[in-house]
Amino acid sequence: VSGDTVTRLAPPAGYASVHVASCVAGVDEIRARLLDAVQSLTPADLAWQPRPGANTIGMLLAHVAVAETHLAQVGLLGERDGHVHDVLGITMEDEGLPLAPDGPPSPALTGRDVAFFADLLARAGAHTRTAAAGIADSALEVDIVRPPRPDGTRRIFTRRWVLFHMIEHAAGHLGQLQVLRRELPQR
Amino acid sequence: MARKTVIRTLEIPKGWRSREAASFFAQLDELSARMFADLATCSAADLAWQSRPGMNTIGMLLAHNAIVEVYWMLIATGRYSDARLVQVLGIDGDDDGMPLAANGRPPAALRGRTLAWYRKLHDRARRFAANTAKRMTSADLRRTLDRQRPDGTPVKITVRWIPYHVLEHQAGHYGQMLLLRHLQRLPKRKTR
Repeated sequence: VSGDTVTRLAPPAGYASVHVASCVAGVDEIRARLLDAVQSLTPADLAWQPRPGANTIGMLLAHVAVAETHLAQVGLLGERDGHVHDVLGITMEDEGLPLAPDGPPSPALTGRDVAFFADLLARAGAHTRTAAAGIADSALEVDIVRPPRPDGTRRIFTRRWVLFHMIEHAAGHLGQLQVLRRELPQR
Repeated sequence: MARKTVIRTLEIPKGWRSREAASFFAQLDELSARMFADLATCSAADLAWQSRPGMNTIGMLLAHNAIVEVYWMLIATGRYSDARLVQVLGIDGDDDGMPLAANGRPPAALRGRTLAWYRKLHDRARRFAANTAKRMTSADLRRTLDRQRPDGTPVKITVRWIPYHVLEHQAGHYGQMLLLRHLQRLPKRKTR
């Protein structure tokens, strides 16, 4: 029927695993909603900080793109080190998270407009789709053992968990972004 | 000092008719475990804290998640009614107080509620949702439901979308709870 809204989670073709395809569809959907939520915002809105030490909408958008790209590199592709700059053109430090308790917004993101963040998210998405396409069901439960962190902590995870984390991480920040958007000072 | 090892895996529960449905609930349980761990030190006052009038509290978000989980699983099986939701959950679908009016205060139904109370509510919702999903087949997940938005717009929804939505919906509000915890601890707001 013309005018119907269709809401579904259809695993896209071209993936070795239906589960992986379904998760990628979920991340794609949340990324699209992130962008939709900021379409009308100005660079000043994107850089607005409710209080010192609190993240801006722009920082959250950059963080989602950086985290997704890093997770795809170390969690899906099993690379030893992330290299998000090669994909996004910004570094992990540029996102500015975590801020100090009284920290100002990340200077690397000041003055950036929606198109800048849309490009970051599009790059992250394309990278994730490429990284995920060849993952078979048999690779989902394989342990990815990360090198020890500076404090000696070791992390071990599976690709199944990484795909779940990509979804819930982006969704969590979408929720935060929606609150911040509601808090923006009246123009 | 012994080095800490953090292990992140998802165990798919056995005995479900659909592995995909089981996978969604493994993810939901992982998410809930982390959410309640992050809220473990919240007092009843923390759960009822509003950053300003009109804004949701952590307690409201917890109640909302439980309501939404039961609501959508009832929709998935074509058994939704207001009375059925109350029967399953023990609270009314409006008791979360959402959406709040612009200057609204938290709902009376949640006044003084502790984290233990919200945990019980969550567990009740999850038990019902998981028992419902456990019986779903792959064919059930592919089924399309015809729904209508409050404004009359027709919507077609696949059942597979429902557990996914419950997951990302809870994740979104969990992110908001973390933001509220953060704001509770920060100095006063500034203006642009």
